[in-house]
Amino acid sequence: MKKVMIGNHAVSWGALRSRVEVISAYPITPQTQIVEALSDMVADGSLPAQYIKVESEHSAMAACIGGSIAGTRTFTATSAQGLALMHEMLHWAAGGRLPVVMANVNRAMAPGWTIWTDQNDSLSQRDTGWIQLYCETNQEVFDTTIQSFKLAETVNLPVMLVLDAFYLSHTSEPVDVTEQEDVDRFLPKREAAFKMDTSDPRAFGALVRPDAYTEMRWQQQEAMLEARDVFRRVEDDWEAITGRRYGAVETYRTEDADLLLVTSGTITSTARHVVDERRAAGEKVGLIKVKMFRPFPTDELRELLGGVDRVAVLDRNISPGHGGIFAEEIRAALYDVPPEDRPNLFGYILGLGGRDVTPAVIDDIIDNTRSTARPEREDLWVGVEL
Amino acid sequence: MSERDITQPRDKGRNIPPVAISETSTLVNPTGSWKYIMPRYEDRVAPCNAGCPVGIDIEGYMYLIGQGRLEEAADLLVRENPMPAVTGRVCHHPCEHSCNRASLDEPVAIHSVERRLGDMILAAPPPPAPERTRTETVAVIGSGPAGLSCAYFLARLGFCVTVFEAASEAGGMLRLGIPEYRLPRAILDRQIERIAGTGIEIRTSVRIGTDVPWTDLDEFDAVFAAPGAHTGKDSTIEGAEGVSAIRPGLEFLKEVNAGARPDLGDRVIVVGGGNTAMDCARSALRLGADVTVLYRRTPREMPAIPLEVREAKDEGVGFEFLAAPTAVELEDGEFRGITCQRMELGPPDDSGRRRPVPIEGDVFSMTADTVLTAIGEDCDLSFLPDDVRTNWGLIEVDTLGESTSTPVFAGGDAVDMPRSVADALGAGKRAAIGIDHFLREKAGEDVGEVPLGALRFGEGNVSALRYAEDEDPIPREAPVNETVTWDQMNPHHFRTAPRHEDHFHNAIDLRSAFGETNFGLNEREAIEEAERCLNCGVCNRCELCLIFCPDMAISRRDDGGFEIDMRYCKGCGLCAAECPRGAVTMTREGI
Amino acid sequence: MSQTIIKQHIPQDELLASGHLACPGCAAPIAMNLVLKALGPETMVVLPACCWSIIAGPWPQSSLQVPLFHTAFETGAAVASGIKAGLVSRGDTKTTVISWAGDGGTFDIGLQALSGAAERNEDFIYFCYDNEAYMNTGIQRSSATPWGAWTTTTPTSDPEHQPKKDIMAIMAAHRIPYAATASVAYPVDLVEKVKKARTIRGTRFIHILAPCPPGWKTQNDETIDLARMAVERRVFPLMEVENGGSWRFTVDHPGGSVEEYIRRQARFKHLTDRQVEIIQDQVDARWEILSNRVKYGT
Repeated sequence: MKKVMIGNHAVSWGALRSRVEVISAYPITPQTQIVEALSDMVADGSLPAQYIKVESEHSAMAACIGGSIAGTRTFTATSAQGLALMHEMLHWAAGGRLPVVMANVNRAMAPGWTIWTDQNDSLSQRDTGWIQLYCETNQEVFDTTIQSFKLAETVNLPVMLVLDAFYLSHTSEPVDVTEQEDVDRFLPKREAAFKMDTSDPRAFGALVRPDAYTEMRWQQQEAMLEARDVFRRVEDDWEAITGRRYGAVETYRTEDADLLLVTSGTITSTARHVVDERRAAGEKVGLIKVKMFRPFPTDELRELLGGVDRVAVLDRNISPGHGGIFAEEIRAALYDVPPEDRPNLFGYILGLGGRDVTPAVIDDIIDNTRSTARPEREDLWVGVEL
Repeated sequence: MSERDITQPRDKGRNIPPVAISETSTLVNPTGSWKYIMPRYEDRVAPCNAGCPVGIDIEGYMYLIGQGRLEEAADLLVRENPMPAVTGRVCHHPCEHSCNRASLDEPVAIHSVERRLGDMILAAPPPPAPERTRTETVAVIGSGPAGLSCAYFLARLGFCVTVFEAASEAGGMLRLGIPEYRLPRAILDRQIERIAGTGIEIRTSVRIGTDVPWTDLDEFDAVFAAPGAHTGKDSTIEGAEGVSAIRPGLEFLKEVNAGARPDLGDRVIVVGGGNTAMDCARSALRLGADVTVLYRRTPREMPAIPLEVREAKDEGVGFEFLAAPTAVELEDGEFRGITCQRMELGPPDDSGRRRPVPIEGDVFSMTADTVLTAIGEDCDLSFLPDDVRTNWGLIEVDTLGESTSTPVFAGGDAVDMPRSVADALGAGKRAAIGIDHFLREKAGEDVGEVPLGALRFGEGNVSALRYAEDEDPIPREAPVNETVTWDQMNPHHFRTAPRHEDHFHNAIDLRSAFGETNFGLNEREAIEEAERCLNCGVCNRCELCLIFCPDMAISRRDDGGFEIDMRYCKGCGLCAAECPRGAVTMTREGI
Repeated sequence: MSQTIIKQHIPQDELLASGHLACPGCAAPIAMNLVLKALGPETMVVLPACCWSIIAGPWPQSSLQVPLFHTAFETGAAVASGIKAGLVSRGDTKTTVISWAGDGGTFDIGLQALSGAAERNEDFIYFCYDNEAYMNTGIQRSSATPWGAWTTTTPTSDPEHQPKKDIMAIMAAHRIPYAATASVAYPVDLVEKVKKARTIRGTRFIHILAPCPPGWKTQNDETIDLARMAVERRVFPLMEVENGGSWRFTVDHPGGSVEEYIRRQARFKHLTDRQVEIIQDQVDARWEILSNRVKYGT
């Protein structure tokens, strides 16, 4: 079934097809349409879920944690300030190994007030222990929503799927909505590895002393690392049903490239267009889209970027005092590549607070990357006009 | 260089889960090691038990009634008291004066409960007589409460006992002195019958020293003398000698109690403030006279049981307080009345009561047809051999009733002790123990001293059950023989509940009848009254300690008691502080 | 009967184990034990940060014989909402979900989540065991700390300025079906309230005063006596409020001076007689307000 829908509703449809059992959410632009649509689905009976209309995002995540420890499939959605308010409970979900799934619509952080997109909200939650998956299209949003539950429930870790404000959230695209019976085959009802159960009463999350805390964190890390392989298998299964797959990292016309762009989110689509034009002009330019930010696809990126002459990482985010966050992560990954294979890496900061990243901007970046011997600084800000 | 790779996890079989999921309870923590003081269940003695001259485990039978174990309650009662149907009616119940419940609302109506139990016992078939296990024989002189009590407890200890009674029927002062409206003869007869049924021979109309010489008692291995005090003290009224209108009240009572109905005339004055005076007044009233009691002191000092005074007043007896008769008034040689001296209260005398002193010149006359004097009774001890030492007309005895002449024991009104039915019963019990101990020692048993302290209820009288080392029907936790005081208890857990008062026959209807005036309580009321008992000092399994133990360290034992798991008790002391009845003690011993 | 025989009113089975880590004389485990007796094993407990986070035992222990979820300080009501929703979505409508929080987690940091859940009338029982300060972190003042009290953040030179927050009025204002105060010194009253609450659907709130020997600076064996005195002297009246409008007292409150109650707690030892009178005035004024609520509704 193909429907034209905005990205937010692709999330709602993904949650519907996943048969979520507990939803808890709080409104925030630009996420709100996700939970509005879910409200309708619950109200009209098409989604027989318990929907808790909480008084804050902090409580939204807390209630999801409650639903999850009760053994059910739980879902929420948020953005920016709301995600920041959840921060404490993001740790609780991850450390508690609860497979909550959340959609975060990337919105820049205030102040000043802004509702437009950038990735600082989600990337600020980098170390909370959540798997993070960034989407490029509404179809990918729909698919990733469903995949997220499968991935989360397999490794017992929460998953955050991320989509850009407005460029996806409020933009309509055709979406092939997978039939329910196909999704059911892919994603059966959740069987919790552990849960609150009066016939087997246990305490969860008690004080852990130094003699065991490390071992629990080690296991959390092992699960995170395992998620790389699990995600591949999840995509295999999904592809078998729908014919669609995205990859933790996607390559686009990278063959023989001497310059690779690295993007995430909707900038990728613009970059595809620019790459097509440059290839048509005979330039060896390729594109790498990073979908999975956590766990970080270190090996794939080393494989793909090692030996390439120049790499331009396009970061719609900034870690103040350092640089673009994807760029930093990639630099760190490439440190272990033999020195002669390390690319000349340019980290561009752009598109913050929803500023448009046009093909012209990407053209300028390609040109700058080619024409500059070495970057003068780690953070190369694009289009700053004071 | 390290021999192994420190970055590789090692499997040491710790089975640490991915998240903090509990696998065990907190029982693995021996938190009891934190304590520096610990609780112990220690039952104490209820003040009613300590205050009972008979030595009855009152708290014990109340507990059993509270548990619905009525028959066991009755058994426990008769283990210590030979005549509960009698004492339930006529005892001055000092137990109720010591009842801690008075500090909460009103004392438990112990006498009413005892009476109901006593009547229940009389209504049931008698138990088989105790076995005769002893070859020795004991003679008891007098079948009043002291004599019958001693005989009863001796019989229970296995002795052959013969009671000698001078009167034609057994009962002593119970029969001769106490009017029927207080103690119906049918009750008394059945109670004595029940006592005799324990295997006691009662020989009536036999006065020792007259009908049987003292020396005939040599065939007995021991003698208990309880002859009572039957001679009314002479009045000090000037000119009374030879005036037939002035007569000892006790003599009058004996006549009436034997069934006679003497004519006292219209106006009767009773001199005195004790129970005999009240009995005289109310009996005279029933013979149709107008009765006034003349008493030297005020109502506060009256030795009579307050209930008797109240009943007398209700029935119409008049009272003239702070007045004493001084002289006979004659008119034409005929008795007309008496001159009375108005008194006032001076400083306290040796008894602690304020001494009445005459108000000079304040005299008045009272006309009367008869004056009954009830100012005390003396004993006739002429039958005793000289080596039984007496003092101020009373036989000298030690705590267990042994006189100066072995093997003579004594008790009751003929020895120096409070004159009450209860005290007489208690003396009889002590003497039975004394005689048993004496005879065992004489038979060559290594008996040591009688452990009086351990036999007593606190500072009160002795327990026959404890002396016989019989099983206590109430499981006691580490009993400590100390009386528990109100301030050792925690009154907050008690609710007030009104005392059940005895039912009385309408006083006016009774003025001319000798039927019983007090009907006591019905069974339901008596049980409810028993449930008012606070079980002072004794764990009654209320389980507040379980509820208030923050450490869940207290658990129920199979036998109904509780135990404290010292592995987990942190010694907070809440169980002791909150025990309503002071049955938990904190101690540093054993830490 | 002149004395309540506990076993006739309170279930015997215990769902709380010995060896828990409460201080000697702590009221909090007494309260938990009574509550679980009343609720039975079909109960799930949400435990935001509080003394009980320690009392329950460190991993791998649990002192409770019902499922227990340790959670963040301010999330008791929200996590309970989620667990209940999860159970209901799987068809379990009979398990009772409770949140068990201290005064800090209720009056202060958890109030938003509690208010939200109460307004939504979420189907759980929220218990606040109130020891009148942040005891687990070492006796810092909370909005439940009474006027004049010493804590480590209200030193005797500048003791607590504010009277205790009227949490019952706040909860009643949410018009939840049932709210009550209870005391460990009145175990039957407490258990009856919990049993009653269990039969009601929607948000139920039970506020239990829980004296704390180290925090109140009292003797270990005074816990119950002080809890009782708080009720008798009207410092902590025992009440029920149904649907926010129907207030009633559930026990007698004879009243009398608060002086002994105050003076027995060394956290108040710096107070002058005049200051104790101020507390008396506060108690009297609040009693009048409560009496009027009982008389006239809100």
